[in-house]
Amino acid sequence: MTDDCENVLVAGCNTCVAVCLTGGEKEAEQLAQQLRIARRREGIRGKVDTVTVLRQCENEYLDAIAVQVEEADIVLSTACSIGPQGLVFRYPRKRVAPAMNTNMLGYVREHHVWTEYCAACGSCVIAATGGICPVARCAKTLLNGPCGGSRNGRCEISPEVPCVWQEIYDRLAALGDLDSLKRIIGPKKWNLSNSGGPRTMKKEGFEP
Amino acid sequence: MTENQTNIRSFSRPISGDELRRPPCEAACPIHTDAQRYIQLVAENRPAEALAVVRQTNPLPQVIGRICPHPCEDACRRGQVDEPIAICNLKRVASDGAKTGGLGYDPPRPDFTIGKKVAIIGSGPSGLGAAHDLALLGVRPVIFESQSEAGGFLRTGILNYRLPKHILDEDIDYIRGMGVEIRTGVKVGEDIAFDELADEYDAVLIAVGLSESRSLPAPGADLPQVLLAVPFLEAVNAGREAPELGKEIIVIGGGNVAIDAARSARRLSGGKVTMVCLETDYEMPAHSWEIEDATAEGVSIICSQGPNAIMGDGKVEGLEVKKCESVFDEQGRFAPRFCETELSVVPGDTVIIAIGQMSNLSFLPGSGPEVNERGILIFDREQCTTTRRGVFASGEVVTGPGAAVNALASGKRAAIAVARYLGADVDFPPEPDPIGEVPPGVAEKVKPAPRRKMPARPAGERSGDFDEVELGLPEVEARCEASRCLLCSAGARYSELKCIACLTCVRVCPYGATWHDREGLAGISPERCQVCGICFTQCPTKAIDIGVKSEEQIEAEIEAALTGGGKDLEFGCWYSQARVTPDAAAVILPCTGRLSVRLLLHAVERGAERVYVAVCSESEDGHFIHGHRQTRAAVAEAKKAIAEAGLDPGAIEIRIEPELKCKKNV
Repeated sequence: MTDDCENVLVAGCNTCVAVCLTGGEKEAEQLAQQLRIARRREGIRGKVDTVTVLRQCENEYLDAIAVQVEEADIVLSTACSIGPQGLVFRYPRKRVAPAMNTNMLGYVREHHVWTEYCAACGSCVIAATGGICPVARCAKTLLNGPCGGSRNGRCEISPEVPCVWQEIYDRLAALGDLDSLKRIIGPKKWNLSNSGGPRTMKKEGFEP
Repeated sequence: MTENQTNIRSFSRPISGDELRRPPCEAACPIHTDAQRYIQLVAENRPAEALAVVRQTNPLPQVIGRICPHPCEDACRRGQVDEPIAICNLKRVASDGAKTGGLGYDPPRPDFTIGKKVAIIGSGPSGLGAAHDLALLGVRPVIFESQSEAGGFLRTGILNYRLPKHILDEDIDYIRGMGVEIRTGVKVGEDIAFDELADEYDAVLIAVGLSESRSLPAPGADLPQVLLAVPFLEAVNAGREAPELGKEIIVIGGGNVAIDAARSARRLSGGKVTMVCLETDYEMPAHSWEIEDATAEGVSIICSQGPNAIMGDGKVEGLEVKKCESVFDEQGRFAPRFCETELSVVPGDTVIIAIGQMSNLSFLPGSGPEVNERGILIFDREQCTTTRRGVFASGEVVTGPGAAVNALASGKRAAIAVARYLGADVDFPPEPDPIGEVPPGVAEKVKPAPRRKMPARPAGERSGDFDEVELGLPEVEARCEASRCLLCSAGARYSELKCIACLTCVRVCPYGATWHDREGLAGISPERCQVCGICFTQCPTKAIDIGVKSEEQIEAEIEAALTGGGKDLEFGCWYSQARVTPDAAAVILPCTGRLSVRLLLHAVERGAERVYVAVCSESEDGHFIHGHRQTRAAVAEAKKAIAEAGLDPGAIEIRIEPELKCKKNV
C-alpha cells in the first residue's frame, strides 16, 4: 500500500489505543521501523516518520500535526478507525490508511487481556441485567436468556467463553433480586445501533 | 497546543521536584565523586573513561583510590542487601586500567584567565586539591613546600606499603603538568617571610596540615629510646636511617598513625610490636581494616590502658600502664577516666608515641592572621577565610585530623572561596540530597552477590618489606564487583506530560516501585526502583525513560558499534558478563530485560545482519525478576516484526552463555 509513496507518516494516538498497547507512540514507532526495514529490503526510496498526538478524534490535535501530514504522501493511523477518518476529514486531499483493526470496546480483566463489554448499541439494558451486558457478551445477543447452549456456566461456542446469562443469574441471585428476571425485556430499538445511520450527539447550550 | 502534547520528549527525575536526589555514595563522599558513573564504566571495562569521571572531582585519583577510608561505602545501599560495593578498590581499577592502556594522563593546560596568583603554603592533599581547582578556575597557584619533595603527609606520613611513592609522584606530576608550580624546600617564615608572600601574591592559602606529633606528659618521655610518630614515619619514608629500634617496641596510640608506626616498626625491626591504647577494641579510632592488616602482620594490641610512666634508667625498659575505665564523657567528648590503682607493666625497649598531631604556626607574623587561645587558627568554615583579608586556610590545620579525602574537600572548597575573592564567577556547589534506604521487601528481591576481596600479599611475606601490600582487583573480578552496584537514583523516571496513567508500569514492575493514585497521578519511587527497565520497555507512550542506559544512549551505542563495519551485533549483560559471540560488535546492558522491541529493530535497521542477545540462563529471571521473560517476549515480537518485513526471523537470536565469568552475580 505504501510502496508507491516516497514519504510515509505513521500517526500514533496516545489515549485509548495506547492504553490497549496497540497504537500509542511506541507501537507507531515500531510500525515505522518495520516499514523502513521492509522498504529498504525492497529498495524503496523515501522516508518513514512518526508523529503521535494525544487523541486523533479531535480537530485541534490533528491540526497540530499539519506540517508532518502535508509533507507525507500517505498517513497510516494506528488509532481506532476514528483516527484515519478524522485525518480524512481534516486533510481531505491526503491519502490515509488504517494501521490498526478496531475490534471492540473492552475491559481489562487482567493485564494484557481485553474482553468486549460494550457494543455501543444505543439503548443500554444493563440496568435490568444486573449490570452485565448480554448484547456485547452473549454470543446470540439474547435479551432474555440463557439459551439451551449454556453448559456448566460456559457458552456452547467455546469452553473458554463464560455464559453471560449464567453470570447475570448468579449476580442477581447474590443480590436477592432473581424476581427481576421474571420481567421480560421487550423488543430492542436496533435503529439506535449501527443500523439507523450514523449517530450524533450534541451537548446543547454550552457552545463556545 | 504545546509540543509536549504531541510527541516531544521531556523527562522529569523519578519524583517531581527531586532533581537533586543522588546516590548516597556520592552524597557521602566529601568531594562528591560520581562513583556510580565510574563504577558503571569499570563494569564495561572502560577504565580510561572511568578515570576521567573520577578526575572530574578528584585531583588525586591514584592516591585516594588506595588510602581512602571510603565513607561512600558506609553509605552504599548495597550494604543494606549484603555488603557494600568496593568503591575505593574500583577507583584504583580505573586508574590502573587507564594506565595500562596508556590513557588518562594528559593533564589539561588551563589558561590563567583571571590574571591573579595565589600562594599556597603546604603541598599535602589540601594544598594540592586547592591548587588543582584554582588552576581550572583560571587562577595561577604557586605551592610552597618546606620539605624537599611535594606531597605533605601523603609523602612523609603514609608508608610505601599502602601508597607507593611513584604513585604519589604520578598524581603530583599530573597537577604540575597543569601548570601548577611547586617550590619545594622553601620554609615560609625562614626562607621567605609570610608578609612577603602576602604582599607578592593576590591571596594566600594556609594548608600546612598537622605536621608535629604531640608528646606525652609522662615521666620517662625524654629517654633516648622514646620516639615521636611523625618524625619517625618521616625518617622511614625518606629512607633515612631510622633511629635504632630495639626488639620489643611499644606504640602508644590507637589511631591510624599509630597503626602505621606499628606496622613500620614491625617491618624495620622484625621484633615484637605492641600497641597500647585507651580505647576498647571497638572504640579505636583506627579503621577496622587497618587494625586487621596490622594484627595479621603480627602487631599485638592492648586496649583500655593508659600510659602512666615510661620505665627505665637512662634506657627504656617498659611502659607502666593504668586501666582506662572510659574514654569519652556523656557528651562524647574526649575525657578519659583511669583507675589509678590498677597498674601493670608492658615490657619493651623502644616507645613510639602516636597520640595525636598538631600544627606548627610559628611562621605566622604578629600582624595576623590571628590564632585563638588554644593556638588554633581562627577560621570561617563557610568562606574559608582567616582574620586577615586575602588569607585563607584549608585542610587539617583548620579542620583537625581526618582522612586525606576530607583535606582534599577542604582544599577544593578553599579554591572556590579564593577564586570568588579574586573575581571568578563561581559558586559553592549545592550539597547533594541522597535517596533513602532500600525499603523492606525490596532488599530480599535483589540477587545476592558477594563483595570481591582485594588480593593482598600474604602477611608473612609483606611484614618484612615496604613494598605495596594490596595488589589491585584483577579485571574480571573488578567488573563483577562493579556490576553489583544498585545504580541508586539512576532508575526509571517518567514524564508527567506524556504519562496517560495506563497502569502498565504499575502492573509489570517486580519491585513495586511505580504507583498511580485515584486521580491518575503517577510516580516512581527511586528507593524501590532497581533499574531493571521492564517498565521502560513496556510503556506505550514512551513516558518512561531510565537514568542509566537511556533509550537514546543505547541507540547511540548501537550506532557506534555498527559503524566501523560491524556486521553482527550482540547485546551483552554486565551482571553476568555474558558474551557468546565475541566476533560481533557489542552493546552491554544492565540485564537484557532492558531490551525493547524498538531497540532490537533499531539494530536491524542500522544494518546489523544478525542480532544476538546473550543471556546468562534459561530461567525466567535474569539479574532482575522477570528479566529473561521480558527478553524473550521482546525477541519473539521483534522476530515476528522482521518476518513481516520480509527478513529471516532467525536474524535475531537469543544465545545462552555457557561459561559465565560472573557466576556469583546471577
